[in-house]
Amino acid sequence: MSNYAKPLPVPNEDTQPWFDGCKQHKLLLQYFPSADWWQFPYSERCQEDWSTDWEWRESKGEGTVYTWGLMHQVYHPSWGEEVPYVLAVVELDEGPRMNTTLINVEHDQIQCGMRVKVAFDDVTDEITLPKFEPA
Amino acid sequence: MADPIAGQTAICGLGVTEMGKIYGHDSYWFASEAIKLAVEDAGIDKKDIDGLLINPGITSFLGGGISIPLQNHLGLRNLRLLNHMNSFGATAIGMVHYAAMAVNHGMANYVVCVFADAPLQKGGSAGAAYGGGRNRGPEGMASLGPAYGFYGANTGYALAARRYMETYGVEQEKLGNVAVAQRQWATTNPHATMRDPITMEDYDNSRWIIEPFHLLDCCLVSNGAVAVIVTTAERAQAAKSDPAYVLGMGQGHPGNLAHSSVETMTTSGATLAGETAFNMAAIDRDAIDVCEFYDCYTYTVLRTLEDYGFCGKGEAGDFVADGRTAPGGSFPLNTGGGQLSSFYMWGMTPVAEGVAQARGSAGERQVEKHDAVLISGNGGTLDTHGTLILSPRQN
Repeated sequence: MSNYAKPLPVPNEDTQPWFDGCKQHKLLLQYFPSADWWQFPYSERCQEDWSTDWEWRESKGEGTVYTWGLMHQVYHPSWGEEVPYVLAVVELDEGPRMNTTLINVEHDQIQCGMRVKVAFDDVTDEITLPKFEPA
Repeated sequence: MADPIAGQTAICGLGVTEMGKIYGHDSYWFASEAIKLAVEDAGIDKKDIDGLLINPGITSFLGGGISIPLQNHLGLRNLRLLNHMNSFGATAIGMVHYAAMAVNHGMANYVVCVFADAPLQKGGSAGAAYGGGRNRGPEGMASLGPAYGFYGANTGYALAARRYMETYGVEQEKLGNVAVAQRQWATTNPHATMRDPITMEDYDNSRWIIEPFHLLDCCLVSNGAVAVIVTTAERAQAAKSDPAYVLGMGQGHPGNLAHSSVETMTTSGATLAGETAFNMAAIDRDAIDVCEFYDCYTYTVLRTLEDYGFCGKGEAGDFVADGRTAPGGSFPLNTGGGQLSSFYMWGMTPVAEGVAQARGSAGERQVEKHDAVLISGNGGTLDTHGTLILSPRQN
């Protein structure tokens, strides 16, 4: 794991709880009770009713593939051996869409609308990335 | 009742610099060169300019993009209108909108709208300019993108195109048809960077960038600048070049909220922007003779055709398939080759070609009937949209 060369996310104060959740294999979302609104990525204010009253809640981690692509271009040398790799947007059942990737699936099996569930990848001791696999 | 601004303003000057791999100049040089050419084209004097609207390209994110100091580079004094604007690909048309409203209300007489960019460096790739050249490290959730391998503008549009293609059953070749038709137009455009004709085989053989996009689905990256000068209809009639009258203007900005309550990837702001512009111009889409659409990717053209209502959802692929939009076809579209084949000056690429077509100065590629030219700008990943309808006739 210490040889992990790909870019790593950098948690900041606001988002540290989310990254901590990933490490515990929990996919957290912001939940704003006044609008019954789930939000991702993090923002201090509710997109729906502008409330600032919210809490972290665990997502069921299930959703559908909204869209996907296969990246061939190498923008960072650490991806060189992996191209083409899958980029995906997953629409969680709670509402928010996440940019992510898909694992445990052949490229020619991927389709928009397919059901997926979260699969956590502990890429380093500090960072766990939520990825998705067929449900 | 006629709209009080329709036909009351015009573009009286157009300046287009050399385009592409032009090295040794910064964005300010390109901007001032384009403005010099536009002023000459209009036959006005430097001191007549009393408004300046500025849109930098990607260079502003790399360091060195044009901004307010352009006024001093040009030695302009006592401007009555000045701003640095950015709604990405919709900015060029937006600048013309605000300039037209300003001159129509007497806030300024001659407003220069300029876009300049110089991201290409000798020995560097176009991908380096737009993909990973930014050194500032993001943090928080913004830093998740590179961790999953999301880079550059290509990604958002490729993902949008995929959703469109799977939703409506649109085949890959439909994207290719757009690229091939536009290259045909570019062969006769002296400003175009890519003038060699391409075939569908060339399209299929061009390397994948991010599926479903081949290289030939993606726009160029260019160094250069375009400037237009907006003034009142009356002043434009006294200018050296023929006016391109502004008949209709509209904007539509759906945003890009990543949430199940909104469909973002198969819709754009063209419907909303187009409705406003067609109402202002008091014409309907059947009256349009030429279209100059923002074409950052082949998909954007299909999306825009549908959202302006020229065909139904998912039907644009068939609409372009028979060469209808190519030279000699019944629906001239992106007649300079567009961003895919001529040059990439964000929203100024379609504006420059639209002005040339409207006033009949497009040379070998001039479309015979050009009474109404529909121009689009599109920014973000289908987040922002601007519409401009130009005509050689005041009404």
